[in-house]
Amino acid sequence: MDQVNAAGMIASPPLEDGATPFAVSWQKLMMWAFIVSDALLFTGFLAGYGFVRLASPVWPDRAHVFDLHLIGLMTFILISSSATMASAVAAAQRSDRRMLVRFLSLTALGGLLFLGMQAYEWTSLIREGATLFSNPWEVPLFTACFFLITGFHGTHVLSGVVILAITAMRSARGRATFNGVEVAGLYWHFIDLVWVFIFTFFYLL
Amino acid sequence: MSGTHSQISYKSYWKVWGVLLVITGIMLLVEVSPFSRLIVAVLLMAAMMVKAVLIGAQFMHLRFEKPGLVLALAGTVLFFAAFLFILISFDALRILKMIQQ
Repeated sequence: MDQVNAAGMIASPPLEDGATPFAVSWQKLMMWAFIVSDALLFTGFLAGYGFVRLASPVWPDRAHVFDLHLIGLMTFILISSSATMASAVAAAQRSDRRMLVRFLSLTALGGLLFLGMQAYEWTSLIREGATLFSNPWEVPLFTACFFLITGFHGTHVLSGVVILAITAMRSARGRATFNGVEVAGLYWHFIDLVWVFIFTFFYLL
Repeated sequence: MSGTHSQISYKSYWKVWGVLLVITGIMLLVEVSPFSRLIVAVLLMAAMMVKAVLIGAQFMHLRFEKPGLVLALAGTVLFFAAFLFILISFDALRILKMIQQ
């Protein structure tokens, strides 16, 4: 029967005991809320980059500035780490602790490799004279956007590696829950998802 | 530790991984192709969206969630992204015209 509130309007009935909104755990729902807000932050950064790019009469040729082979390899590593993360969630679903720890460790290793390559890429550009506010290609906002967006993404990768390391250690001791692994997985896949957009907008377009 | 979704095979995830890698390879080839910049941009954006949908639906399990949740999550981000990009485009092109004059 519908409940009527003080204003005489029909109110939604409360959830039954044990039921959750959208039939997902609160941990997962909160992670999704975080992901949406973080995605909007990246959207703002990429829109800002788009604005600068569209309003600039000249823009450096990315093929000359970046090593696309290296970027391709970084993308390969991140996609592979997403696949190992999905496999870790599948292992958690099967309560297969050995495979779970193995896949989580492989995912963290992928993240570390990605960070190492990003450090190499940044170092190469800095050695060529690129800073946050100036660069040899004479479009200062080019490197401002580059360091801000890839740096922000790299920080996410770093925090993701820390989360994965903690989850792997908890799993090895048998203290991890499926929810914990799944939520860590959502965060990691989000990092991969953001890279799909950065890879296209920054390195290819 | 077992989860709420029906068990998904490891193999299905690695199939998605293969498709994502193939699309990435195609994107790198399209970038150096002799097509006009407009065609390259359209192809790259289409490939980017396919990759994003694959990661969201398969790896993030959105295909198993209730449609209301998917709409709330993806709808929010897509709406604001489209809104922002459309708004900034006009202003950016106006500034470009001013600089070029």
